[in-house]
Amino acid sequence: MANTIIGSSIVIDGEISGDEDLVIQGTVKGKISLKESLFVEASGVVEADIEVQNVDIAGRVTGNIAATDKVELKADCRVVGDVRAPRILIADGASFKGNVDMDVKER
Amino acid sequence: MAATKEFSSTGGDATVIGPSILISGKLTGDEDLTVRGRVEGELNLSKTLIVETSGIVKANVSVRNAIVSGVVVGNITASESVELTREGRMVGDINSPRVIIVDGASFRGHVDMGNAEPRPQSERPASRPVVRPAAAPTSRPATVPARAAIPIARPAAAKPQPPPMAKVEAASKPENKPAPPPPPPQPVLVGEAGKKKVLVKKKK
Repeated sequence: MANTIIGSSIVIDGEISGDEDLVIQGTVKGKISLKESLFVEASGVVEADIEVQNVDIAGRVTGNIAATDKVELKADCRVVGDVRAPRILIADGASFKGNVDMDVKER
Repeated sequence: MAATKEFSSTGGDATVIGPSILISGKLTGDEDLTVRGRVEGELNLSKTLIVETSGIVKANVSVRNAIVSGVVVGNITASESVELTREGRMVGDINSPRVIIVDGASFRGHVDMGNAEPRPQSERPASRPVVRPAAAPTSRPATVPARAAIPIARPAAAKPQPPPMAKVEAASKPENKPAPPPPPPQPVLVGEAGKKKVLVKKKK
C-alpha cells in the first residue's frame, strides 16, 4: 500500500489531507484530515487539529482530535486537547490533558 | 499493521508523500523528500526533492537537488542541480548551477545557471573557472595562429600574384602590348571560378 511518511527532520506548516495512512516522525502544524489512519511516532510532534479514522499517538500532539473509529494514546505520549471518538484507549504511562467524548458514533 | 509500518518506514528512509495526500502550506526539512501526491505552497529542503510521475508540486521550491518526473508549477531554486526527466513537466523558473532537461520533458519558464557571476562555492564554481580559463587560452592561441596564418596566406596569395602580373606586365610591356590583355582575363576567370566554387559550396 501506498504509505506516506513525514520524516523526522521535516516540518510542515499547513494542511495535510488524503485517503491513505500517514506516519509522522517529524513536525506538523496546522490541520490533518485523513480517511485512514494516522500514526504519530515517538519523534513526531503535531500541533494541529486532527480528523481521521484511526489515530495512534506515541509522540506529542497538541490540538483537538476527532476520529471516526479509534484513538489510541500509547505509553510515553503527550497529548493536550479534546478527544472525540467512539473508542478511546489510554495506555499506562500516557500523558493526557483535555476532554474526552465517546458519545459520537458517527461523524 | 505495525509490522508493515516498521518495514515501510525502515525501507524508505526518506519522507514520502503518498499519491492521495495533499499538503498545502509550508514544508521544510533536512532529508530527501519523495512526492507522489500533491504539495502546494512552499517547499524548502536541504537535500533532494523527487517528484515522481504521480506527484504534483505547486509551490516555490528551494532545495539542493530536484528530480522532476511529475508536474511542478512554480519556481525551483536549487543549490546543486535540477533535472527534468522525460516524464517531467514544469512551468516556472529554474535557478540552479546545473540544469538537466532530458528529451521528452516539458518545460516553460526561465533558466538561470548563474554563469555570469562565478559564485564562491566549493566544487562546481571551482571546476567552472578552471574550464573557462582553459577554454579561453586555447581559443585565443587557436585564433591567433589562425589570424597569423590567414594574413600570411593572404599576402602570400595576393602579393605574389600581382608581382608576377606586374613583372609579366612590366616584362611584357617593353616587349609586346598584346601580353597585358591576357592577365586581366585570367584574374577574372579565377574570380569567376572562385565564385562558382563558392556557389557550389553554398548549394551543397
